[in-house]
Amino acid sequence: MFNSLITNFFCFDASRVIDSSGLGRELRCLVCTTTIHFHQVTPKGGIFVASEIVEDCSSRDPLLDIDSLDSSSGVKSDEYLELQVRVLRLTFLLTIFSVGIAGFFLGAGVSVSLLIGALSGIFYFRLLARGVEKLGTSRKIVGKVQLLVPVLLVLASSRFPQLHLIPALLGFLLYKPALIIQFLSMP
Amino acid sequence: MDSITTAASVVAAGLAVGLGAIGPGIGQGSAAQGAVEGIARQPEAEGKIRGTLLLSFAFMESLTIYGLVVALVLLFANPFAG
Repeated sequence: MFNSLITNFFCFDASRVIDSSGLGRELRCLVCTTTIHFHQVTPKGGIFVASEIVEDCSSRDPLLDIDSLDSSSGVKSDEYLELQVRVLRLTFLLTIFSVGIAGFFLGAGVSVSLLIGALSGIFYFRLLARGVEKLGTSRKIVGKVQLLVPVLLVLASSRFPQLHLIPALLGFLLYKPALIIQFLSMP
Repeated sequence: MDSITTAASVVAAGLAVGLGAIGPGIGQGSAAQGAVEGIARQPEAEGKIRGTLLLSFAFMESLTIYGLVVALVLLFANPFAG
């Protein structure tokens, strides 16, 4: 008596199940080995099982390779760097524009305070961007170190009378118009 | 600065920071949770997710900064100090 049973075994390789953008790709990732089992009942009552590996997923899709995934995520994180660069460039332009106008109309003291505030705002944004960059990789929460920047700015303005408080705070908030412009220009 | 103004300024500074940090704290936590989940599901969209998270954090944290600045002004540059 001879029975033939075809069984597909799904070999789950967890290290490869990373890119789940499409279901088909994920399924192709999961089906690593297809095995055909022949069950044959011997005359003495025993069961003889013959296995044959028909298809092995040794030639993997390069998109599923973990090294190529790492390199593609590196390419995608360049997008994040580009966003930062765009925001910082826009903030620099706004800083130059506002410092020039303040220096022309309100005097050098206000202009210098505005410039110091704007530079501290850029530093704050850079620290925040670094915290967001580390989120999920080396840290589970975004750090609060960047909040020390406005604290130090207000303390410095209270300590040094040459540094005006209101222009410094307005300069510190100059990164926000750049963020709004960037947010509106996002597709 | 008399004692009543000093006490009121200190209480107001604490309230400004404490109450002002509740909302952004909750919002940042939920935003970070959603972003990390999104990155885990779609690693190829990591750049866009992180960029949007950065913009959201900058907007949310500015509320904390407003409260912080008000508190610091009340403590170190109080306009009501006689």
